[in-house]
Amino acid sequence: MVKYVGKSITRVDGTKKVTGDLKYVDDIKMPGMLYAAVKRSIYPHAKIIKIDTSKADALTGVKAVTTGKDFPKRVGLYLADKTFMAVDKVRYCGEAVAAVAAVTEEIAREAVKLIEVEYEELPVVENVLDAMKEDSPLVHPDLGDYKHIPIFHTMPGTNISEHFKLRKGDVDKAFEDSDLVFESDFYVPHIQHCPIENHVAIAQIDREGIITVWASCQSPYAVRAALTDAFEVPAHKLRVISPSVGGGFGAKAGTTLEGIIIPLAMKTKGKPVKLTYSREDEFNNSYVRQAMHSKFKTGVMKDGRIIAVKNQFAWDGGAYTEYGVNIAKSAGFGAVGPYDVANIHCDSYAVYTNNPVGGPYRGFGMSEIHFGIEQNMDYIAEKLGIDPIELRRINAQKPGGRTATNAVVDDACGLLECMDKVIKDIDYYTPSEQPKEPYKVRAKGFACGMKAPSMPNNAASSALIRINEDGTAYLSVSAQDIGQGSDTALIQIAAEILSIPPEKFTINTGDTAHNPYEWQTVASRITYSVGNAIIKACEDIKQQLVQLASIKLGIFPRDLKLEDECIMSTIYPDKKIPIKELALGLNMPDGSGVHGPIMGRGIFVPENIRNFDMNTGLADNPVVFWTYGCYGVELEVDMETGNIRILQVASCFDVGKAINPDLVKAQSEGAIVQGIGSALFEEIIMKNGKFMNPSFMDYKIPTSNDMPEMKVSFVENPQKDGPFGARGMAEPAMIPAAPAIVSAFYNATGVKINELPLTPERVIKALKGKNN
Amino acid sequence: MNKFNYFKPSTLTEASEILRKYGENAHILNGGTDLVVRIREDLLNPEAVVDIKGIEELHHINYNEKEGLTVGACVSLSDMAHNEAVVKHFPVIADSAEVVGSGQIRNLATMVGNNCNASPLADTATPLLALDANLLVYSPEGNKKISIHDFFVGVRKTSLKTGEIVIAIRVPSYTSMKGVFKKASRRKDVDLSTVCTTVVRINNDEIRIALGAVAPTPIRAKKAEGFAKGKDLTDEVVHQIAKLAVEDATPIDDVRGSKEYRLHMVEVLVRRSLEELRY
Repeated sequence: MVKYVGKSITRVDGTKKVTGDLKYVDDIKMPGMLYAAVKRSIYPHAKIIKIDTSKADALTGVKAVTTGKDFPKRVGLYLADKTFMAVDKVRYCGEAVAAVAAVTEEIAREAVKLIEVEYEELPVVENVLDAMKEDSPLVHPDLGDYKHIPIFHTMPGTNISEHFKLRKGDVDKAFEDSDLVFESDFYVPHIQHCPIENHVAIAQIDREGIITVWASCQSPYAVRAALTDAFEVPAHKLRVISPSVGGGFGAKAGTTLEGIIIPLAMKTKGKPVKLTYSREDEFNNSYVRQAMHSKFKTGVMKDGRIIAVKNQFAWDGGAYTEYGVNIAKSAGFGAVGPYDVANIHCDSYAVYTNNPVGGPYRGFGMSEIHFGIEQNMDYIAEKLGIDPIELRRINAQKPGGRTATNAVVDDACGLLECMDKVIKDIDYYTPSEQPKEPYKVRAKGFACGMKAPSMPNNAASSALIRINEDGTAYLSVSAQDIGQGSDTALIQIAAEILSIPPEKFTINTGDTAHNPYEWQTVASRITYSVGNAIIKACEDIKQQLVQLASIKLGIFPRDLKLEDECIMSTIYPDKKIPIKELALGLNMPDGSGVHGPIMGRGIFVPENIRNFDMNTGLADNPVVFWTYGCYGVELEVDMETGNIRILQVASCFDVGKAINPDLVKAQSEGAIVQGIGSALFEEIIMKNGKFMNPSFMDYKIPTSNDMPEMKVSFVENPQKDGPFGARGMAEPAMIPAAPAIVSAFYNATGVKINELPLTPERVIKALKGKNN
Repeated sequence: MNKFNYFKPSTLTEASEILRKYGENAHILNGGTDLVVRIREDLLNPEAVVDIKGIEELHHINYNEKEGLTVGACVSLSDMAHNEAVVKHFPVIADSAEVVGSGQIRNLATMVGNNCNASPLADTATPLLALDANLLVYSPEGNKKISIHDFFVGVRKTSLKTGEIVIAIRVPSYTSMKGVFKKASRRKDVDLSTVCTTVVRINNDEIRIALGAVAPTPIRAKKAEGFAKGKDLTDEVVHQIAKLAVEDATPIDDVRGSKEYRLHMVEVLVRRSLEELRY
């Protein structure tokens, strides 16, 4: 009987967030604090001829000035291609070229204006398809010299920083055998995460050379790794604190502005230096979701079986792809979405351009590839005269089937169950009731999606639990609650095993000096990976408690159990001892002590996750799990203005086990809203390498009035190695949004749109195109 | 944000003196929802900012049949949009005010400010144009009245001279007037107009059409109005008026919309407005 897991307990961080008691990095004010401002490139691609900082240096109130030359070492998570400030040339408009620390923000900004930079403009690589051409100017001519993790395939002498190849079966022969072959192509633009809290960081160096960085970041240990590498300082002398994070969605997964303020802090010993991004910075200078062109050639049989897919994904990685290379790779091994296709030939390319830096964004490539994959399914269904749901059922990955990389599909794949649920919730087969206005049309649409965590095979987690003398507990991990509710879910897991109620726990996170290692808070992996580490820490504690209780009660350990905050006999329930009496060890009758304070240690790394074959991309166990699910959407199109209103969305995912059902629902609802944004409104408009709409004035995200009615559900086919059977769901929950909306749009209008977003203008253009 | 001198005078005379002293380097601060953003983005760099909210007489809103509606310079868009007389006699003005920015913006921003800002896409400018409003202006040489038709000179340019301050906007009363405000935007709420329109029908005889975001200033669609004069609003006439309204529009392409889309939307919005005015 579970007591806490599977229950919708109230968020443990709720009160302090609602009241404003929770302090974010920008709330931190320290004596003597300096403020940084950054000089940024006005060109998308240019050589730096000269930087003259003398006037800035001379300005009263300026305490330090730094340029890229101070720390020219290239670093990066998967590919070491970036410096925190431009050294020899700038590669996107807005790239940092110099930075200033001053006693006020105003002086810092004034000083930045005084820095003179002489550039020699270089030809701009604006478009990913042009960037892939042989005669394209190179964004990184030295790509061949960059260090990278060996699982990536860079192509020195080109703009391609990763080429992931998937070769399964024999596509050429399969196309010959196909009854019909279809070709199509799609485009998704750059978008941005828009967390409510912008990036912010503070750095301070004490007289012993210990660097402390306060950062709004998803992954303190990954930030530490990047910074210790770049600045060549030992890990124990670089402490990263992340007190709280106001939303990340991937934008705060990497290391960005932290690397700009450390050189300033080094020059102003002892004084904390703060840099707070404006919303314009957040748009232009943190990360963006990469734009992507996809092409599909699909071979099908008349009965609906898809037997061959040849496709290409071209990712606009922007100026640096230290993170983007792994998105391209993930797309490559995702290849065909949640379908079982015997013959696949997929090429996925990460490509440098002079656009803003691409990086992780909720979905990590999967939303982008499913935009094409799922529309393609609708298209094929129509051509074959098969119901689009039926076509998906025929081709769906099912237990015992094969994934794109030829791994066996796990028994826990619940895609068909999810489909049944959504079809019912959206009442898919009942046509929409049409509105009274003759120019408005309503219709329903459907799409599936899937995602696996994309991470190094050995991405590890750890947890420490300390029992206090009154039987309460500290849970220490480095998972960051970035809004997804991990603090709450992780406490529930510990509470369940230790039988200590959640309110008796305090969770400590976000401090590399005090809390144990965590690879990253990304990839929808925290509940799974940290949850497993916590279970092990709890088992460690349980074993210690049982040992001590056995001595105290004179009962053999096998006959003891942990229940209701006590160790008790399984045979004689009145024979028991409360945890709190053992918290500091056991007191013997003669007054002596045994064992000492109870502390649990848990570590976890997924078992037997192995690399992809470098030539074929095939792998029998490359990822910890796949999460499957789908969306049903009903919308209304104003055929004259092009405005679209999403009326209702039903979604269902196979989450393995919902540790906290309300939090799963909240994640699903957030995903729906973010998905609507990406489908209807969001688009970074680039013109000649310049970001034309870096503010909420001209970059729109949904408001409360754009919310549809949401019917969110989940199914629970347990993950074999997940804590209580749980698997990740936060990112997968967004993936089918855009294709489901486009599918409903097609059903309403009979018009296909193969690029996002469906702005009123794009809709009208498409509708007029149909009429002509 | 750059440094500036902040003044909060309590009389128009005093305010005007400061404005004249600093000349081009002074800027009036009213709701501040445009000014503050523009200073922060370094688009404006005033030496003196003159806050007129301390001038008591600018905070009044009145209606009487003889003079019409008078909305003081410092009356917020929310207060105006919920004012009983505005809702009763000029719902079209209330409708246009209700879609400017967000609730928070409307609690600060004013109709006078929205118009003095002289953006081509000012939502409240179209009903004022259609209703032949006047601006009551304090001038060192003596108060004067400027017709809204003479007020907008170009993008962010008005006919106000240094030291002049708009006291209020006055809209004449009509015995029989129905109006419809419409806005095309990328998102339903909290968005700028891609195109906005006001169409009014006076005495069941005259049609007036004002368009925003399709020219350097908000404009009236005179050709369409001339055609509509005295005609019954049959389907055919409605379509023709809507098509003619497009002819006065000379929009540009920008991130909010292409020229083509804007022209298309002028026709759609004017037609829909006329259809509503038939009943």
